[in-house]
Amino acid sequence: MWSVQICGAGRAGDGTNTQVLTLGQVFKDLGAWSFIWREEVYSNIQTRDSAFGLRVADQPVYGPDDEFDILEAFDQGALVDITGGVRVPPLARLKKGGVLIYDSSPRLEYPNAGHEVHPEVVADVLERQRVRVYGFPFGQTARERFKNYIVRGTVALGVVAHLLDLPDEPFLHRFRRTFGEDSDLYHMNRDAFLLGRQMARQEGCERLGRRPDLTPIADDQRQLLLGNEALALGAIVAGCRFYAGYPITPASEVLEYMAEKLPRFGGAVLQADSEMAAAHHVIGAAVAGARSMTATAGPGFSLMQEAISAAGMTETPMVIVLSQRGGPATGLPTKVGQEDLNEAIFGGHGDFARIVLAASEPEEAFYIMEKVFNLAERYQCLVILVLDQMLAQSSYTIPPLDPSRFVIDRGKLLDAAAVERLYRSNGRIDYKRYLLTKDGISPRVVPGTPGVTSLYVNTNEHDEAGYITEEMAIRKAMVEKRVIKRTALIRQDPDLPPPRLEGDSEGRIGFIGYGSVFGPVVETLQRLAERGQKAKFLALRTLWPFPSKEVKEFVRSCDRVYVVEYSAGAQLLGLVQREATGPMPRKLRSILRYDGRPMTPGYILAEMK
Amino acid sequence: MAVYTPEKPLTQADITGPGAWWCSGCGDFGVTAAFKEVLLTLVNDMKVPLEQVFIFSGIGCSSKEPEMLRVNAYHGQHGRSIPVAMGLAAANPGLVVVDFGGDGDTYAIGMEHFVHACIKNVNMTLIIMNNQVYGLTKGQASPTAHLGLKTSSTPEGKKLRPVNPLKLAIAAGAAFVARGVSWNKKELAQLMLRAIQTKGFALLDVFSPCVTYHREPGFRGSGPIVDWYRTNYVLDIRDAWREMREQVFTPEEQARLPAEYDPTSPEAATHALRLIEEAAKLGREVTGLLLINESVPTMEENLGVSKERAPALVDISVRANLKGYQELLAELR
Repeated sequence: MWSVQICGAGRAGDGTNTQVLTLGQVFKDLGAWSFIWREEVYSNIQTRDSAFGLRVADQPVYGPDDEFDILEAFDQGALVDITGGVRVPPLARLKKGGVLIYDSSPRLEYPNAGHEVHPEVVADVLERQRVRVYGFPFGQTARERFKNYIVRGTVALGVVAHLLDLPDEPFLHRFRRTFGEDSDLYHMNRDAFLLGRQMARQEGCERLGRRPDLTPIADDQRQLLLGNEALALGAIVAGCRFYAGYPITPASEVLEYMAEKLPRFGGAVLQADSEMAAAHHVIGAAVAGARSMTATAGPGFSLMQEAISAAGMTETPMVIVLSQRGGPATGLPTKVGQEDLNEAIFGGHGDFARIVLAASEPEEAFYIMEKVFNLAERYQCLVILVLDQMLAQSSYTIPPLDPSRFVIDRGKLLDAAAVERLYRSNGRIDYKRYLLTKDGISPRVVPGTPGVTSLYVNTNEHDEAGYITEEMAIRKAMVEKRVIKRTALIRQDPDLPPPRLEGDSEGRIGFIGYGSVFGPVVETLQRLAERGQKAKFLALRTLWPFPSKEVKEFVRSCDRVYVVEYSAGAQLLGLVQREATGPMPRKLRSILRYDGRPMTPGYILAEMK
Repeated sequence: MAVYTPEKPLTQADITGPGAWWCSGCGDFGVTAAFKEVLLTLVNDMKVPLEQVFIFSGIGCSSKEPEMLRVNAYHGQHGRSIPVAMGLAAANPGLVVVDFGGDGDTYAIGMEHFVHACIKNVNMTLIIMNNQVYGLTKGQASPTAHLGLKTSSTPEGKKLRPVNPLKLAIAAGAAFVARGVSWNKKELAQLMLRAIQTKGFALLDVFSPCVTYHREPGFRGSGPIVDWYRTNYVLDIRDAWREMREQVFTPEEQARLPAEYDPTSPEAATHALRLIEEAAKLGREVTGLLLINESVPTMEENLGVSKERAPALVDISVRANLKGYQELLAELR
């Protein structure tokens, strides 16, 4: 596999995120595959130093590699820890013989004052690492030539295009798309880009080399999108028409995407006044008959626990996307974590059936929404899709998505004719919301269905008609309906996504994980294979009901199994032990990361003991 | 499709549930009786199909309302009936949404939702059975318990300042603000119907005395506690307008303002607030219709949803939406 990795490091406001994204789009347009992530974004709104990563390859990539080939620096924070603390600057991850491009002009405009780049401070490192260093006065040039300081990032893009030997047209195509054909901003960015390329040529910048020929794909239907966008798209295609949410990192993009797109399809987006309200809005809309959803992160999910129990008791189809970040409490709002798995599976008070699914990458996140909504309505229960910050807020190039593959199954939702047929007696319709049926699932109706005036949804223990009861026999029957029968039924559902097996099935080294660890673990398998070690990976997609049988068989087929997760409490390992294997202390090992930074193949290899 | 015809009108029996939850003499019976009358009027006279009515409740004595009835309902958790009702109202604006809450349910644990529902102007009616105590947990002081009221949780008398829901609703921009009393069914039913007909968020706070746990010195039992309210506590806004004119308004205002209180006046909000304040000086709470203002867009209007364009009822088939989905995909290439 060929791949190249670039880091854009500056201060918030320097536009490095935009540059990296544009470059990723250009590579995609050239037929390559891009992965763009937030390498270092601090949870503050002031203009602190930050870094964005782009990895490009000739095949799909789902995670960062350990080292960068090019570091683009707009801020001294790219080279040293300007806080004087123990922060590891992006330079530490620049490859031996890599390229440093930096803005050599002073900071010219508010708000990004100070911390101009001075590579002489790290001259020893640059020399030792044999880094090729190119400084250009991007800021001054942009200000003088274009009377626009911000466009310095586009000048820098021109230099990067030269280094990577990329043609002009894909860049110009992206500028046209962003700024509008023939707009002033398009012309300015085009000229800035071409100037950058010319500056690099004049400076005699040596090309990075060893790039395979990239060929644009005819009628390229591949997507470049965030995990959050993929799942939001999938939700809309799955028929979600009501979304309620409260802004929270790393789930806010779902709210924003829904707010922009859902009205087109006759849907409504209600920005709630808390996650507690949002989750209850979802229940209300679901009772009304809309496919409904919310998305949140750990702190918001805690506020939803009460509503989760209400959905369980009322047998209301409810969908929650849980994007995990470092916790507990406010924790690391912008950084990756997988510390909320236990709360997803065991949260809420009382016993009730639920389904917890996970996606490994955006293509899966898109298609899994079909299952999420179908399962929620089929079993009239809560379905949680568990993601993490790396998957939610990274952009991936993925194969074309096909919405026509979605099949909508609304379970036992009755239309007016069926209601007439089934419930008309003695001149009136005697509908019972919690009718005891053989499989434990009662038919649902949408309020407003002609003649139905006895739809009673109740969070108290209730009889078949919904009225409160504490009678022993009914209580027992209702619990068995909600918990025991339903869980047994769910376990057998073929729509529960089975674990995804990657690598060499003969391997005796095993990995288990879910979510964004997928990319780094799959690449770890490749590196192990290069060393002649056969290994395999079981990526879990159904987390509850836990796939005990598959996990047990997988573990049995291995000599050593590493459970890879972003949780100091090893929550996934705990589940594996509880639900599948028992303790097995010699065979089962953890590979954990809880510093908020992404897993990489190098990290995983180093942690294998 | 109206189910009940002139030949076979809806009757009390059709809408009566199996519940029998309240103490004999409880004010909540009066609220229920008034609501049943409203339902009969809505269905038989105004031709609203009963299946379009959806009621909500939370936790408390008040929240047993759906148990007393046979209508479509959601009986939820403590304080959470409003956000659930908001989701349903947004998903199907064709439904008539009426939420029954108590003073603890709404003005304590559900306060967040109450204030935001007023602000968002959700097209729904909130009927509060306000009795100053937590009846279901045996008589602790509620947020509306008046200063000095002795209860099991305030043995020395209530010291914390009570919540004034009318002031809150007015300040938060509710479209309809009124207070009824459970012992005057005719007027209560009129207020309920008007609240339901109002476009926007309607608060109807109802004094619904607790005959078991609300104890006033010298007043015990269901008859006397109602007497206490009538003689010691309530003041009709129309009487307040006439009797307190001179204390509340300047001579210029008095000359300009009409003889009778007008809840539809653009100044109704400030008038009501001033009368509430003045009545409070006498230890009185105002009753009656304080305010109707339908000029503000509802939450549903702001969301772009309507009876004809209800998120719960739109066609979600992939075939019907495929072109739109393809456009979404193209936007992310």
